[in-house]
Amino acid sequence: MFDFLIQGFGVALTPLNLGLAFLGALLGTLFGALPGIGPINGIAILMPLAYTLGLPAESALILLAGIYTGSEYGGRMSSILLNVPGDAGAVMTTLDGHPLAKKGLAGPALGLSAVSSFIGATIAIIGLTLFAPLLAIVAVKFGPAEFFGLMIFAFASMSAMMGKDPIKTLIGAVLGVLISTVGVDSGTGVLRFTFDMPELYDGIDFVVMIIGLFAVSEILLMLEHAFRHDQDGEMAPIGRVMVKMSEVLYCKWAILRSSVIGFVIGVLPGTGASVASAVAYTTEKRISDRDNTFGTGDMRGLAAPEAANNASAAGSFVPMLTLGIPGSGTTAILLGALMLYNINPGPMMFREQPVVVGGLIASLYIGNVMLLLLNLPLAGVFARVLQVPRWLLVPSVAILAFVGVYQLHSDLMAIYLMLVIGVFGYLLRKFGFSLAPVVLGFVLGGLMEENLRRALSISGGDVGILFQSNLSIGLWIAAALVVLVPMFAGKLKAKFLPAARPS
Amino acid sequence: MSKFNDRVFGLVMLVIAVAYYYGATQFPVPFGGSEAVGPETFPKLLAVILAICSLYMIVKPDPDNHWPVARTFLELGIAVVVLIAYALLLEPLGFILSTMLAVGTLCWRMGARPVKAYLTGLISGVVVFVLFTYGLELPLPLGLLEIH
Repeated sequence: MFDFLIQGFGVALTPLNLGLAFLGALLGTLFGALPGIGPINGIAILMPLAYTLGLPAESALILLAGIYTGSEYGGRMSSILLNVPGDAGAVMTTLDGHPLAKKGLAGPALGLSAVSSFIGATIAIIGLTLFAPLLAIVAVKFGPAEFFGLMIFAFASMSAMMGKDPIKTLIGAVLGVLISTVGVDSGTGVLRFTFDMPELYDGIDFVVMIIGLFAVSEILLMLEHAFRHDQDGEMAPIGRVMVKMSEVLYCKWAILRSSVIGFVIGVLPGTGASVASAVAYTTEKRISDRDNTFGTGDMRGLAAPEAANNASAAGSFVPMLTLGIPGSGTTAILLGALMLYNINPGPMMFREQPVVVGGLIASLYIGNVMLLLLNLPLAGVFARVLQVPRWLLVPSVAILAFVGVYQLHSDLMAIYLMLVIGVFGYLLRKFGFSLAPVVLGFVLGGLMEENLRRALSISGGDVGILFQSNLSIGLWIAAALVVLVPMFAGKLKAKFLPAARPS
Repeated sequence: MSKFNDRVFGLVMLVIAVAYYYGATQFPVPFGGSEAVGPETFPKLLAVILAICSLYMIVKPDPDNHWPVARTFLELGIAVVVLIAYALLLEPLGFILSTMLAVGTLCWRMGARPVKAYLTGLISGVVVFVLFTYGLELPLPLGLLEIH
């Protein structure tokens, strides 16, 4: 049953792939540390490069996955040292991380977060190794109706978990699906929403979409902040980076609990690191904050979100590799990258692409060890990238975005489209939308329509087929529950705990 | 706090939903006759969901976000123009020169001194060019600098 892993280590240990895993870990930590770049932008910028360089699918995925897991490590730097989260998953890290730095414990805080990240990721990767093959066996039985139900569940769990505003999440997802319908309809060959522009016949290119939506909108957002003259806080001195064994042991339950929470939330389709770290932090606060020390620099309050966001990164590979449904915004992009290689993600991947799946999982083990070795001694070096001035950062992202799209298309139309999508993404963010649902919708839109179409052509147009098998009924009920339960739970809480702190 | 933003946004989304629905009704009938799910079925479904969501946004809007002041908007506009110009000049001027101009202008607008800004642009242009053309063997256009 674990043949794929042995085969995978064979793939991951080749010099090229080891080198790429290291490069991914290094760049990922840097991207995570740089304010505003984060995993999605890092992957968006490097994806076209990996593709045009002609890397084989498993090598490209190893590089990109390394960036993903690495940036979950890097995100803590600016959270702890500057009180500015490097990316969305690192927001909770500021709560206790920065107070620790203010107490003069910045070094141990960095060390502890690296160790918790390592443990969280390790537990989740083991979980991935054990559960993914089992889930893949079950998922082979999924028909089109079940897949359609599963995608509804993915969107439902995303709108319930992400952000404060489920409607905006839903609109974002629908907009993503809307954009995915541009181009030739795969079922009938009819041209849809192409406005008679031949460039749009093949649909909107994935790389153009991602770089526009994330990198370009990030450039505009960073520009706006630069002109508002936002001042970054003073950087705390780092001091000793090695964390003491006693400090890790003090946090052991926080780390273990949060790793499990992070893994489970990562596995849920559509929810990623930001949700996982938030849930882990609040759970840990509820369980062990007896003396009200959370938020004032409690080591456990730092260890919990750090373990959870790394665990969720590994966990979000489970639905991606077994069902073809991404577990987070970032895995949605990795999924798109696989599609560039004409690999159809889904339950058959374990059987048809053991090299890709096994190589990826094995490289996660290797990359995680590399990340710990990089991040413990070199925390001080990485912290220096925080001092990169903004006026240098924005143009660098701009060049990389341009070169990436230009290399892939050598076509001005693609670049214009990227800019238009970038302005659109910027506006969405200003209106309080998060972009992960848009990508998820964009990636899943085609699959969703295809499965709906196949299901209805089996039944001859009878919508009842969507609710026929027990599995699909279960998925619909689960989808309804994830949306409704938090809604009512919130109402009940507001009723009985009127003094609860506003969130 | 005013709740103007979300209402306007909801209205725009509603217009998009209606236009999208109308667009879907205009598809030609696919070759081989219509099936249970034609090319228009799924888009129509999406348009209805989007319309419902945008109505909700109009009825129950969130408080407004912090919007940049007019001057910042001007700077953002400049940045977008710079990026468009970058794309236009990439081939005629070549990668190094167009990067120098685009990156230089962006750095300058973001607060670096002009000489430093354009020097940064030149250096980053050369570095990326060398890295891509020789390191990764992905050639970028040389443009004006090409030796005839």
